[in-house]
Amino acid sequence: MKVRYSYLPQQFEDCEDLWQDLKDFVATGDFTLGEPLTRFEESFAKLIGTKYAIGVNSGTDAIKLSLKAMNIGPGDEVITAANTYVATVGAICELGAKPVFVDCNDTFCMDTALVEEKITKKTKALLPVHYTGYMTDMRVLNRISEKYNIPIVEDACQSILGAIEGKNAGTWGKAGAFSLHPLKNINVWSDGGVIVTDDEELYKTLRLLRNHGFENRDTVVMMGCNSRLDTIQAVVGNWILPQAKSISDERIKNASYLDNGLQQVDEITIPHRPKDFRLVFHLYIVFAKDRDGLLKHCIQKGIEAKIHYPIPIYKQSALVHLGYKNGDFPVTDGHVEKIITFPCDQHLEKAQLDFIISTVTEYYES
Amino acid sequence: MKASKERIPYVNIQQQWLDERNELLPIMEKIFTSAQFVGGEEIDKFEKNIAKLCGTKYACALNSGTDALMIALSMSGVRKGDEVITPPNSFIASTAAIVHIGAIPVFVDVLPDQNIDPSKIEAAITEKTKAIMPVHLTGRMCDMDPIMHIAKKYNLVVIEDAAQSVGSKYKDKPSGSIGDVGCFSTHPLKNLNACGDGGFLTTNNESIFKKTKLYSNHGTADRNVVDHFGCVSRMDNLQAAILNFRLEKLENVAEKRRNNAMSYHNGIKNKNLFFPKESKDEYNTYHTFVVQTPYRDQLKEYLSLNGIDTAIHYPVPIHLQPASKKLGYQIGDFPITEKQSKEILTLPVNQYISKEDIERIIKVINKFHF
Repeated sequence: MKVRYSYLPQQFEDCEDLWQDLKDFVATGDFTLGEPLTRFEESFAKLIGTKYAIGVNSGTDAIKLSLKAMNIGPGDEVITAANTYVATVGAICELGAKPVFVDCNDTFCMDTALVEEKITKKTKALLPVHYTGYMTDMRVLNRISEKYNIPIVEDACQSILGAIEGKNAGTWGKAGAFSLHPLKNINVWSDGGVIVTDDEELYKTLRLLRNHGFENRDTVVMMGCNSRLDTIQAVVGNWILPQAKSISDERIKNASYLDNGLQQVDEITIPHRPKDFRLVFHLYIVFAKDRDGLLKHCIQKGIEAKIHYPIPIYKQSALVHLGYKNGDFPVTDGHVEKIITFPCDQHLEKAQLDFIISTVTEYYES
Repeated sequence: MKASKERIPYVNIQQQWLDERNELLPIMEKIFTSAQFVGGEEIDKFEKNIAKLCGTKYACALNSGTDALMIALSMSGVRKGDEVITPPNSFIASTAAIVHIGAIPVFVDVLPDQNIDPSKIEAAITEKTKAIMPVHLTGRMCDMDPIMHIAKKYNLVVIEDAAQSVGSKYKDKPSGSIGDVGCFSTHPLKNLNACGDGGFLTTNNESIFKKTKLYSNHGTADRNVVDHFGCVSRMDNLQAAILNFRLEKLENVAEKRRNNAMSYHNGIKNKNLFFPKESKDEYNTYHTFVVQTPYRDQLKEYLSLNGIDTAIHYPVPIHLQPASKKLGYQIGDFPITEKQSKEILTLPVNQYISKEDIERIIKVINKFHF
């Protein structure tokens, strides 16, 4: 049996209505900004529970522009997680700021107990990463943010509709950054991203930044860049957004099914699933003994299991100059040896989930 | 055939869709069905074909023309505090790209043909100057020989802002092939246009090409290794597919635009209007056709009353934008740019205007008196 990782072909199997929307849209010739994008932004803000949403070119740009709009630049420090995807750190570095890492805990997110000791006079933002669909404990982080008066930008790229005590990812910080990359839970069919915020000033600045700083067609009030969510992709977004809740529900259901099956296997440890958190499982990761053997076995059997990621970001050669060394982030390092990611998306069939469970079980039995 | 009495629009993207619909729909459906949205065959094909057209060894597809400029500057070694010489009459993105990477734009005034005046460049060079960024505005290429000569003399990088000049030539050399890097836009309003933002850069420099490839894709050499941080500036595979289709028609598009322009050149006879002739050194693809007149606002209104849409590229010079305050320029610093900003008017020149409509525009303009 095949258990593929990408489900995008399935997404296209059942979308005649979207195809019609796209055909209608292309005929308008209105390819930048415009009504479908405005509608998408309004729906997105409503879905997440913020006043404003701004469509941008990518999740990376969502992070970068949020920081830039808060005037973060050379010499500033931004505290973030040691185990994130490259884009989070790339966004910080591109602005000339310095990433300062905090180790994660077994929920794959920044250990908030370790944040305060990293704060210096230069710290200008906290950038928690709600990694894999988990959430950073924002109740604690918001207290730190208030105590030191340092704004939070949430990297919520992997955690759309994740929540703590019913409050969504993206609504806790000053800004929340989302990705619409084709492999995300809510996706468009190209690169894409969204920033959410309740802050009107920030919203206005971000609108300018993403569109050359244009106040109107002829007046440029700040030097901006070009980071617009393509309007044609907003049409795709408008189609998928109403499915957002059911997609995450389905992933949660699949994850829970996998949890139940895999926890019977002694060699597998299921990460802690906090009760008041809504985890949306962009990545379904468990800890496995003899991980490399298991990975090989699963791939041989046709399951596209993966490792997110084999080299932690702080160890990448791009960050050598920061002088981090082995052992600086023991939890992150520990994860590298044992994490394995299984498909968990809304298009999987029960038989495929069962096959994952039986394949893992069989590996350790043999 | 009688001239159409309908309004003559400035651009006509809707007509392009009607013309291409039957061929483009299957291409789009193929991409959607393949589910290959980021990176992919169409990108590879586009890069290969566009490099060929631009006469360079390499091309790298990116998210926008603005990104192409920013990345070109950055990958050519322009750093914070460096100065980049450029004209003040371009689209804002040219200057914004310089500012965005922390460099300092240093403006040099333009010639009557709206392109940078090479004879004024040397006076603007300081110890901090790192690059010259000429802009091939309106599709007309800058006088590149003296620019390249100066660049060589002072060891400066040349980044061609070719966002409006895909396919244009200077002494038989395509735009984007003369400087160290050429930067292009495939924005929906460009001669070679996608159905969303897009851009690319061209170069013969293997190192710049390789660095750009990495930089535009998170800096990731493969899925797991990062040597230098980058950003996300990828052309969408869908847009690349549309561009590959349109690339085959580009020569035809340029020829139609050139024919329209030639009709203007030969037909417009009005002493109140000036427009630069096409020199024998250039092959202009006429992204825009700009006339200059002291009675610009009157002409614009007059044409509008006669059912002809026009545009102004651009009414406020960059050095006078509120965003440029920090750069410390003032009114009077670039007299030719400033004069042109009050006198320029862009006529419709796109490939969808009929011969009859072009003749109607000429007739109406020739009757314009002030």
